[in-house]
Amino acid sequence: MTLRLAHNLKSAYALDMAFIRTRQQWGWLLGLLVVLVVLPLFASDQILTVLTIIGIAIISVHGLNILTGYCGQISIGHVGFMAVGGYTSAILTAKLGWSFWAALPVAALAAGVAGLIFGLPSLKIKGFYLIMATIAAHFIIIWLVLQFRTITGGPDGMPVPKPAIGSFVFKTKASYFYLVMAITLLATFFATNIVRTRAGRAFVAIRDNDLAAEVMGIRLWSYKLQAFFVGCVYAGVAGALVVHYFAFASVDQFPFMDSVWYLGMLIVGGMGSTVGAIFGAVSLKLLDEAVTIVGPILSAAVAPQAAAALALFMRGLVIAVFLIFEPRGLAHGWELIKAYFRLWPFSFEDAD
Amino acid sequence: MSTKRTTHRTFLVIVGLAIIALIAVACATPPAPTPPPQIVKETVVVAGTPQIVEKVVTATPPPPPTSAPKVVYISGTQSLTGAYAEDSAAILAAFEDYAKYVNETKLLAPWRTEKFPADVKVEVLWRDDELKPEKALSIYDELKAKNMLVYRISGSPIALALMDKLNEDRVGATSMATGPYLLSPPKTIFTYYPIYTDDLAAIADWFKENWKETRKPRVAYLTADNAMGHSIEIPELRAYLEKIGYEFVGAQYVPLVPTSPPTTQLLWLKENKVDLALGVMINPGSQPTYKEMVRLDMGPNRGYKITFGTGTPSHLQVFLPAMGADLAEGYVVGGGFLGFDDPAPGMKFLNDLQTKYRPTKKVTHVMYVGGLLEAMIQTEALRLAMQTTPADKLKPVDVLENGFYKIKNLDTGGLSATPITYGPGKIEGVNKVRVDQIQKGKIVNVGLYPARGLYKHE
Repeated sequence: MTLRLAHNLKSAYALDMAFIRTRQQWGWLLGLLVVLVVLPLFASDQILTVLTIIGIAIISVHGLNILTGYCGQISIGHVGFMAVGGYTSAILTAKLGWSFWAALPVAALAAGVAGLIFGLPSLKIKGFYLIMATIAAHFIIIWLVLQFRTITGGPDGMPVPKPAIGSFVFKTKASYFYLVMAITLLATFFATNIVRTRAGRAFVAIRDNDLAAEVMGIRLWSYKLQAFFVGCVYAGVAGALVVHYFAFASVDQFPFMDSVWYLGMLIVGGMGSTVGAIFGAVSLKLLDEAVTIVGPILSAAVAPQAAAALALFMRGLVIAVFLIFEPRGLAHGWELIKAYFRLWPFSFEDAD
Repeated sequence: MSTKRTTHRTFLVIVGLAIIALIAVACATPPAPTPPPQIVKETVVVAGTPQIVEKVVTATPPPPPTSAPKVVYISGTQSLTGAYAEDSAAILAAFEDYAKYVNETKLLAPWRTEKFPADVKVEVLWRDDELKPEKALSIYDELKAKNMLVYRISGSPIALALMDKLNEDRVGATSMATGPYLLSPPKTIFTYYPIYTDDLAAIADWFKENWKETRKPRVAYLTADNAMGHSIEIPELRAYLEKIGYEFVGAQYVPLVPTSPPTTQLLWLKENKVDLALGVMINPGSQPTYKEMVRLDMGPNRGYKITFGTGTPSHLQVFLPAMGADLAEGYVVGGGFLGFDDPAPGMKFLNDLQTKYRPTKKVTHVMYVGGLLEAMIQTEALRLAMQTTPADKLKPVDVLENGFYKIKNLDTGGLSATPITYGPGKIEGVNKVRVDQIQKGKIVNVGLYPARGLYKHE
């Protein structure tokens, strides 16, 4: 299917390649920024908490999208790499007294390096076998965290300071919301651009047919490891934001099942699409919140057990429904809506 | 228009409708519960003698109140999804029953004379946190915005995530988890059974009392591989064990919910000639562990003599029926609750509550006892706070300082090992530990030992 921008002809290559290409898009971006700036003035603590957690999830899912959605290397150990980032930042800030701003890039780098190490099997194996290798990565990382008790606090976890600039500490919900949203916007910008680079195109070629890609001269080992590195850098940033938000680092913040749900977010949002990663993270997190509120009502109406595992059930159901009816995810639906309105009021017929 | 396009549009419409339906349900208010039939006692004169007769009266809706009663909430976060699902469901049921009892009678327990304020209604407010810290955080914010004055902790992950926040906000909370992390330093989370290290010290005291050999008994940890299980590894407990004459051997870990029998860990105990294994586990962990122990012919009355004792999240009342008398023989729990057939007034009250409010679907899980204790403690904290501040002006800090901290010798009718006392820095409500063992298919109380208060916080 071809979706062209109607009435918007480009006179130069640079204009066509620009990140934001129309006035309308500039308008949307400005509108989004205004909403993000104004929102904490009106929103409750709960809404800010939910939005902050959604923002962190978006960063993490962007990383998984680069690795799995674009490069086709399925990982179910993503939360393990978040733990690497989280604990690196926690140790650097809490034990060595580093500033959050210095610890954050180091945490991202540490997660990236862990990704490189655990990405090595991807050079030899793929599909189901790679999934198993990434699961192993998660458990090895968590095991290491538990064993190095003197450094990580082991199962008891460790307190982590809040980020600060000079004397200003990101202590309030609103301030942390701004911090997370700024990083989320940056992460989205980089994720969109990575795909348009030479490496990004190589990722897509490897995903579509690795043999053909290799024949075309793409060095599989290099690009697969690059995808692992970049994807895990994102995970590291998300992990660091998690521990600083809670002001506490604990292995309980990085449960294995979250890796599965992050993959579910990609399925619901649409793999291989930056917008899809955002849609997926937002929709599944909001579903989670809705289910939390619905649970007690259902429980009062039926029985306490009726609410048990409701969230797991709903998440599973939604993922299954999307896999069957819309495997290309919400991002595809969004493209259709955009295409419909692009030529509005004239009807638009799909070429295929 | 192509069929493909129509399918996509239909799908989008369905997704949209589902979202609208979810929001609509979320905003809906649950219907008011119908009051159950009540038994009314009347005095009548029969043949010149006054007699008390009981009449079943179908409750009629009460007349509309002149002013709406003030509402205070109890409960907080629950973990109806995950490893603690069964415990949480039983606890929630107890909260609901106790709230009904207080609202109907304005009493706090049959053996207590104090009354709950007549113009204040107790409601249960809760959410399922799935034992996930990030979910607990948004739930906490939501309930705080709804003017929840007390809170509850459903497990160690939630305690670790929320303990500093609760302390900062000066919110008092009851906790189903009782690790030493609550004491470093003491914050605003209160326990109603001893912390795990004190449970294990009591088991060690009991075992040592009954040790007949001249050599030192050898002790090791066999504990859950999570924050709860590892929380017993404090130097103070090891020092205490050595002080009372044990030889400490080491530690082995079992997943919280094992997916395969912990054979390697148990064989390690055997090879190292361990006499007493101590740990903290929940039933889904202790049951398969003990089953494997029996298979390896390990136990107090088996080929290889070893006693296995755990802290209270593993319940004998669940363990015994699940395992059967033979397999369960000899297992020990410290800090456990009473059985449902115990004659203590608290247990009679508990059974009466269930008979009244859930006659056909009684909760048989022992954590109903824990839930009733938590509900009693939270309600007592609210009642005490309302003695100094009116209900509509109460803040969480009032309930903490004039409620929780003022709870002294709260008589729980025997539901807890001793009456409950709290104060600033004193978050462990009881000062004695029950030690129970399964002997010949029965839960036998083998002693009540002092809570040693081993963990030395700053």
